[in-house]
Parts: sequence; structure tokens; C-alpha cells
Amino acid sequence: MSIRGNVAVIGVGMIPFGELFEKSFNDMAQEAFMNCVNNVDKGFDPKDIKAAWFGQWSGGGMIGQGVLAGTSLATILGLRDIPITRIENGCPTGNDTFRNAVIGVASGAYDVCLAFGAEKMRDKPGVESLVAAGGGGGGILGLHPSWMLGMGGPVLQALYATRQMHELGYTMEDYARVAVKNHHNGVACPYAEYRFEVSIERVLNSPVVCWPLHLLDCCPQTDGAACAIVCRADLAKKYTDKPVYVLGTATGVDYQDMWDKHSFIEMLPTIKAAKAALTMAGIAPNDIDLAEVHDCFTNTELMNIEDIGFCKKGEAAALLKEGYWNRDGAKPINPSGGLKAHGHPIAATGLGQICENFWQLREEVGQERQVKLKNGIALSHNVGGGGFGVSAINILGREP
Amino acid sequence: MWEREKITQPAPASPLFWRLNADVYQLLGAKCPDCNHITYPRRKICPSCGSFKVEDYQLSKSGTVHTFCINWTPPPGLEPPIVNVIVDLDGGGRYQGLLTEVANPEEVQIGTRVQMVLRKVMKDRGLDIYGYKFRLEKEG
Ligand SMILES: [Zn+2]
Repeated sequence: MSIRGNVAVIGVGMIPFGELFEKSFNDMAQEAFMNCVNNVDKGFDPKDIKAAWFGQWSGGGMIGQGVLAGTSLATILGLRDIPITRIENGCPTGNDTFRNAVIGVASGAYDVCLAFGAEKMRDKPGVESLVAAGGGGGGILGLHPSWMLGMGGPVLQALYATRQMHELGYTMEDYARVAVKNHHNGVACPYAEYRFEVSIERVLNSPVVCWPLHLLDCCPQTDGAACAIVCRADLAKKYTDKPVYVLGTATGVDYQDMWDKHSFIEMLPTIKAAKAALTMAGIAPNDIDLAEVHDCFTNTELMNIEDIGFCKKGEAAALLKEGYWNRDGAKPINPSGGLKAHGHPIAATGLGQICENFWQLREEVGQERQVKLKNGIALSHNVGGGGFGVSAINILGREP
Repeated sequence: MWEREKITQPAPASPLFWRLNADVYQLLGAKCPDCNHITYPRRKICPSCGSFKVEDYQLSKSGTVHTFCINWTPPPGLEPPIVNVIVDLDGGGRYQGLLTEVANPEEVQIGTRVQMVLRKVMKDRGLDIYGYKFRLEKEG
């Protein structure tokens, strides 16, 4: 059985992302799941779920808990009688978790599957965060004693950002403009962590984290949980009259180590995942109405827009200036506020994007922030993992 | 400096293991005869094409800055600002590390000539770990 059009999303749920000191990991997970189940249009019995995939990046280390495995989700959600597998695939964990649940249905093995992601990242102080402590810890990696020195999430992307400026003529003002757009979108989104506007000046006057990136070029580390229920398309109407269909799903990888990469102005994992997902969907980038793309740093959004194929390499910044990627522009990018304003609870991020796309395609987000739909197709994308070597993309549509 | 727990048992940081390894200080990398990809540290399988025929390849200690950033929020133990670089080595291959002895970060640009010098880079379980950093190549 092919995937395209044969798998439907019948319900999604999440909690508002943020610095949720008052909620435990279990609280967040249970609330997201209850929101999902309780909002399936015609009602939903969790016993219909036949298998689940549990997206979890930090493995419990950030909440002083042991490894979070399938059994954790089984206990938290009261799903003890189905197979549950944990997925950890870097920042694309959420979109890749969804992909695995989709494959579970498309394979014919299960009629209904759950894709779930949750992350508690703010219980650790800032000094132990990804920014300060290095992406993935310090110390020796294999036999290369130097590369990890002084590393961290912002370094990885700043190394790209410098090269984008050199080869494409991008400026720090171009990067700041991404933050301005996404913060503006976040203001209207009730699930977003940051609901305030920023100006270009404010971004450029914020502290330099890692030149050429300022503090307000960086997404936050966030607490959050999000999930989606997928089922066989021919069973979807039992649960809702407005299912959303999976048109394409793909994961792409490339070198893990920065020094192996052929280029610092594009990311092959995204290019590979986009090509595979678009081919499966049988569509071109132009057919997509809106996209949630991985803006962990502002320069990354410009790169992803180009790598997915929404414009040619080097054109994203000029189009941004024209308002092309605005919520009311020709191709809305990150109408939710993106990672930048909506927040980045790693494994929940991609599933949060899928929630947003589900609601946008069903025109349920309210007039202020509803994007114009032409074909009724939306894309979600993450890139990350070691050396930004993994990407996952899902394409959803109103029609199968 | 990175300070892990005090040494209690043989570890990858043990000096004998570390010093005898040809990758670490001799800078032996690997080159693939099938696709010409040069990688470091050595691998048995080419990460570019999957070939099993990779051969040892001697990396050079000099090169030009391919990309860099100026890190004002380094991990604990490092004094900001530090300059992270990825260097195109003369003769092929790349090396990622830190610049050292830079008075003014503005001195570094894409294309700046640099050369490796041996420096203490961290502590692991009580032991000093040495590694290469880059410094600006001297004129002439
Ligand atoms: Zn090869």
C-alpha cells in the first residue's frame, strides 16, 4: 500500500508551549493527549489506538529522570496494551515520530496510531542549556580532541550564517527580519511561547550570542507536548467529517560532522527529505499553501525556505523584505510563530507544527491568523541532529 | 577547561592511548580512492560513498578559514570571545577547532591563512588533554 492519501489525521492536540515550571513532564504529556482525544469531532476512544511512537530527545536527562522509553508513555497515557517505541532523531524527532506512526498505518499493521512528542527543557538552568553547555555535551568525540571545544547550538548555525553572508550577500539585518516576522505571527497564536513583537533594531541591539547571531536570532528552549492521531483514510469519517490527509512523508540524512559537509549555504538532509516528500505527494513546492519550517536560528529559516524549493538559493532574504513569507503574503512561512516565537520543545516541535497545519487546513485558527488556502496543502519541516545531519518533512492536504 | 569527574579507571583520556594514536597528533586522516573524499579522523568506510577501500591520508597543518563565528557564550571554562573555525587544509580535508592568540576577532575573515599549534585543550578525569588550535599565519 502506498502512503499518499491512504493515511488520515483525525485529531491533534497540544499545550501552550513555554517555561512551564508549574507542570511536570507527565502533566504536559497528559494534557496534550487529553486535548487531542477530547477534540476529535465525533469522539474518540483511546482504546482504538493500536500502536504509538513516542518522540523524546533529551531522554529524561533534563528532568533528572532515567531514560524515557516506550514504557514511560504507556504509563503516563494509560496505554499499556499496545506496542510503543521511542524515537530520538535530533530536532526532527517530532516530524520523524509522525512519519513512523504514518508508516505504521500505511503498512497495514495498525488501523490507528498515535504520534506523540514531549520535552521538558527549562528545568535546567540556562548555564546547562544547549546554548552554554554544547549541543550534546562536551569532551572527547572519537579521536578528534578539538572539534567539540566551545561548541553549542548557536555555533553550529553561526558557522552557516557567516558563510551565507559571504556567498549570498545576506546581512544581519536580513536575519533579524526573520525574527520580526515570526514574533509578529507568534503574537496572535495562543499556543506560542513568545507573544510580543520585536523590531529589526531590537534584534540587532540584543546581546551577541555567537557572531553573526544575536540573542533574538535564537529560538528558545521550551517545555511542551503535542500529538496527533493517524488512521486508515477509509476509516477516518468514523471520527471526523474533516480529516486531513498525509500526502508525503520523508526523512533525509547526510554527514554528521561539520567538516565533511560540501556546503554551508544549504543542507542536504532538507533537500533530500523535501525531494522525497514532494515526489510522494506528486506536487511541486509552489502547490503548497503554507509551511512551518525549522527556524531554530533566523538564518536557518532562510536556508530551509530555499532548500525545500520555495525559491532559488539566495532569493529568500529579498522575498522576505517584500513580505512574500508573511502570514498574509504569497507563501506564509511559520504562521504559528515558528520555533523562534512559538518555542522549541524538541520532540514536541514537529508535532506542534503538524497541529498548526491541521488547524490551518481546517480553517480553525480564527480569522486574524488564518492563511489563505488555495490547494489546501501544508508542509512541516525540521532539520537538526548531529551537525544538522537529519531532516524530516510531512505534507498534509485537505483532499487525499 | 572541561573538567570531568576525577580519574578512577583507564579511560580514553589515558595518555598512552592518546599519544600513540596516529589520528590525534600525527593528523592521519583517510582518503577514499573511489570518490576522493578526505575525512578525519580515519574511518574504515568512506562516509561519502560507502567504499571499504579508504586509505590513510596525511593532513596538512596549514590552511585557510572556510567559515568561522565569534562565540560570546562559550561553555564554562572558556573565556569569551572565542573564535570557532572550520579550516580548508592545504592538500585537502577540513579541520574544525578554535583560533588561539587572536587579539582582535575582527582579524579573522573567510580566507584568512592559519596554521595549527599544539595547545592544552581540556581536562578529562584529571588529565590534561592536548590538541590542535589554529593561529594566524605569520606574514612571509
Ligand atoms: Zn568515497
